[in-house]
Amino acid sequence: MNKKIFRSSLLTVCLVLAATIALIMGLLFHFFEKQIQKELANEAGFLAHALENEGAGYFDSFDNKNNRLAGNNRITWIDENGTVLFDSRADVSELDNHADRDEIKTAMKEGKGMSTRYSKTLTEKTVNYAIRLSDGSILRVSTEQYTVVTILMGMLQPILFIMFVALILTLVLSARVSKAIIEPINKLDLEIPENNDTYEELTPLLRKIADQKETIGEQLADAHKKQKEFNLITENMSEGFLVIDADTNLLTYNSAALNLLEITPPADRSVLLFCRAKEFRGVISDVLSGIKAENTMVREERSYSLIANPVYEKESVIGAIVVILDITEREKRDMLRREFTANVSHELKTPLTSISGFAELMKAGDVLENDVTDFSKSIYDEAQRLITLVNDIIKISELDGQSIPYEKETVDLYELSKEVIGRLEKEADKKNITFHLIGGRAEIIGVHKILEEMLYNLCDNAIKYNKENGTVDVLVNQTGDGVNVIVRDTGIGIPISHQDRVFERFYRVDKSHSKKVGGTGLGLAIVKHGALYHHAKLSLESTVDVGTVVTIAFSKK
Amino acid sequence: MRNKFDRQLSQLNTELVTMGALCEEAITNAVKYLTDNEENSKNMCLDADTQIDKKERDIETLCLKLILQQQPVAKDLRVVSAALKMISDMERIGDQASDIVEIAPYVAKKGTLGETHIREMAEAAIKMVSESIESFVKMNLDIAWLVIEHDNIVDDLFDKVKRELIKSITERHDDAEALMDLLMIAKYFERIGDHAENIAEWVIYSITGEHRKRPENKESSTKGGIG
Repeated sequence: MNKKIFRSSLLTVCLVLAATIALIMGLLFHFFEKQIQKELANEAGFLAHALENEGAGYFDSFDNKNNRLAGNNRITWIDENGTVLFDSRADVSELDNHADRDEIKTAMKEGKGMSTRYSKTLTEKTVNYAIRLSDGSILRVSTEQYTVVTILMGMLQPILFIMFVALILTLVLSARVSKAIIEPINKLDLEIPENNDTYEELTPLLRKIADQKETIGEQLADAHKKQKEFNLITENMSEGFLVIDADTNLLTYNSAALNLLEITPPADRSVLLFCRAKEFRGVISDVLSGIKAENTMVREERSYSLIANPVYEKESVIGAIVVILDITEREKRDMLRREFTANVSHELKTPLTSISGFAELMKAGDVLENDVTDFSKSIYDEAQRLITLVNDIIKISELDGQSIPYEKETVDLYELSKEVIGRLEKEADKKNITFHLIGGRAEIIGVHKILEEMLYNLCDNAIKYNKENGTVDVLVNQTGDGVNVIVRDTGIGIPISHQDRVFERFYRVDKSHSKKVGGTGLGLAIVKHGALYHHAKLSLESTVDVGTVVTIAFSKK
Repeated sequence: MRNKFDRQLSQLNTELVTMGALCEEAITNAVKYLTDNEENSKNMCLDADTQIDKKERDIETLCLKLILQQQPVAKDLRVVSAALKMISDMERIGDQASDIVEIAPYVAKKGTLGETHIREMAEAAIKMVSESIESFVKMNLDIAWLVIEHDNIVDDLFDKVKRELIKSITERHDDAEALMDLLMIAKYFERIGDHAENIAEWVIYSITGEHRKRPENKESSTKGGIG
């Protein structure tokens, strides 16, 4: 701004100066020229008069050296043919014929004539005035005059000086002017544009700023609100959420994604820096080529499902949204379900294969009379096993669905245990196992049938997995806030690696011996679900070759 | 202009990480093929190696473009020049992984694997490659130094495997060829370890601008040999 003001001011000053000089020069020069011509005419008049009176002898009084009479002017006398008779400055013999000179020609014709001639350098100008005498000869008076150029050259120094002064003045003034314009603008309080007290030319600007400020404020508030809503949604997602640009740089992410990928802020870098698993890279490169991509990946022993959608703008992919789901639990459940299905089929198939085999032999007819009884017994046993299995499955699905068709009542667990032990005595005797029932009356509110089933299964297991001549202790005792039932055996125990899983359906520690030991593989699962139904705590402690202790802690509601 | 430069640098970074990940993939699959003899792992390893070779050319072009067009200085120049060196190490890792895959069938059939420490060596080499890439991704000096330290473990394991193989050869003459192949594989793992160490050194160089001084004895063990 300062420069602009300076330049225009300087230009103005220069133009004014030039115009003034031109004007003065034009007027004055013209005036002086007229004056000179007038003086020249007068002098010529006087000289002509003198020459007429005194004749050629008049020139004798001229002292060529001093040229007093003629002063600075040059006097030339020419006869009617143009031959120079006298010249105050030059030797007559050296001068040529003057008849073709403008002023002489005019004077011969009209009695007087005038002409102006410029020197070759234009620095000097000669003004000639010629007058015709009565005898036809011509008297010419010439004088030199400075031209405009010469005068200007002479004035160059003062002009330059004035220019220099003008330059300095302009510099100072323009700086002050621009400062005066800019300073109020710099001091504007843009927070409250209306409150500024400046020159009126700024008022429209201030009004505009105020309007704009209001619009920006509204837009900003709107954007903040949207951002907040967005954050609220994404932050409360348990799924990882990422937005990336076309160069795979992270734009947005939620804290779930931060945890899943272990992103450490500042996270404006490529997402591939945080996860470079093959599946992840594949999904990212697919999605950035415009295809919706899905895959699963395993990272630090957890399974994740990746779902990525490309983001388009004008038909080109400008980025992508990636959602990461932790599907470890789902995968685990799926695996359990697959295992369960496989186990059920196996457990169902085994007795059926036996039944089918015996039946086939009998159908063929080549079975001895005595064997038929044996075969029938085997078929009957296997069928019984199937019925028990199906019953167990029904029981467990009842417990699963929590739709138990029995009423809750007061049950004395001590009495119940006694009853169960009585039923199992025969089994126990086979392996010479002794039961000890310790404790006293302990009542809880529960479903008699389920509780009986639980105790039966626990005691049954304690016998099945016991050694010969072992013992089974059943402790029923009342505690402060409930009843504890502890079943302790001196059996083969359960290895630590299997302890977590024995309560699963059909889970068996030693799969190869399931048939020999018997049972459906659902016993402990029923115990677990029964305990869940009664809100009891189930715990298991076991040492291989020492024994197993199962504790059910019922609480009185 | 600067903006473009920054973008190109971040692209270089991403490409390097991808190439590193491919190296991890190649060596992991090579080891899987060696131990489990799974045909799928072999293909995945060879596939990764092909991709590594392509990535090397891509990154090289990108680096040259960066140097020519942007004329980087100071740290940026170090990063670009380190990248140029790193990719040749990564490319070698890929090659050696595919070499292992090629020899593996002759070794695994004989069942000699279990008697040596080759599994431990493989694991240590995978770990070194992973960590060297990790140090680059995180630009972490500590991890880089850790990788350099780990190279000793791989070197020691190589000596151990070598002694075990010598013992096996003297005891059972019939298996000598398979055992020699196993020695080759052991050497490949040792070389992979060295390349991973180199990558870590380039990471250190691009962060600090200083080359790690190699101890004298190290020089001899990496020179020559197979690979």
